[in-house]
Amino acid sequence: MFIQSFGEWLYDTPISTTFRDITWVIPAVQSIHILAIAVVIGSALVSELRLAGLIATDEAPGNVVRRYLPWIWRALIVLLASGTLLIVAEPARTLGNTIFWVKMALVLGAFVLTLAFRRPLLAAQAGDAATPAKPIAFLLLAVWVVVIFCGRFIAYT
Amino acid sequence: MSLETTLQQIYDLPISASIRENVNAFPLIESLHVLAITLVFGTILIVDLRLVGVASHRRSADRLIRELLPYTWVAFALAVISGVLMFVSNAPAYAANLEFQLKLVAIALAGVNMAIFHSTAHRRIADWDTDLPPPAAARVSGFLSLALWTVVIVLGRWIGFTLDVLF
Repeated sequence: MFIQSFGEWLYDTPISTTFRDITWVIPAVQSIHILAIAVVIGSALVSELRLAGLIATDEAPGNVVRRYLPWIWRALIVLLASGTLLIVAEPARTLGNTIFWVKMALVLGAFVLTLAFRRPLLAAQAGDAATPAKPIAFLLLAVWVVVIFCGRFIAYT
Repeated sequence: MSLETTLQQIYDLPISASIRENVNAFPLIESLHVLAITLVFGTILIVDLRLVGVASHRRSADRLIRELLPYTWVAFALAVISGVLMFVSNAPAYAANLEFQLKLVAIALAGVNMAIFHSTAHRRIADWDTDLPPPAAARVSGFLSLALWTVVIVLGRWIGFTLDVLF
């Protein structure tokens, strides 16, 4: 398998060995990873609850999305960077793991849904109705929750 | 020693044994804990940044606090419940873990910081509700809260690497 031989090659590279040898690298990168997840979750929670009409209904949906969407993108960049470091450090734990690929598919799905349904709201004027808001809002929140569960389960499978 | 006896009694509880014996129990509880923590930090981050002086989705700091704090509290309760379940599954190991002890101290300090904020700067919030940046006392509270919760998350991750009993 290509992925397996790539993983073995990666595992033997000096940078991968270094990450494993310095004991604080993996927990430090994982801590940054969790902090960035918190930024996504906080931003997504407020944005999606607003778009579901459950909080901040006195503020225009466009304003709320405009405030938080850039933070989701920034946090996603940090997550991709820290996640890549974690793959480099322990390729077998991730690349050979089905849960990891499920998580990647879900992240991609959440990214595409956010791009398709949330980014257009940046251009929305105050008073524009965002429809159909509720199903997509709850779907996006649910996908992020499953992503978190997958992330933790990677360590156990 | 009585503390050791108590910790061992907690370890011997049926619920502790069942968490240890069911392979999926600990990962599920840990996932809930991570979800809860990201909700706590994610929501408190918005409030803390507003206190530091970063604009939020609304101008009024007081309304922002009242809007988001209920979510923070529910998530915090979930974090405590899931945290207690992880603790009981291996009480003696957690109690002896330095990172775990420091994490509890950091959570307590975050609580003290919040209590100080609510009894000082928040009492006068009507005076600075829409000010950006808010007065120094509020900014210090916001900054300390950010720092302490960051420390809590980092220490929490470190427990997973230093705990004597690993699943």
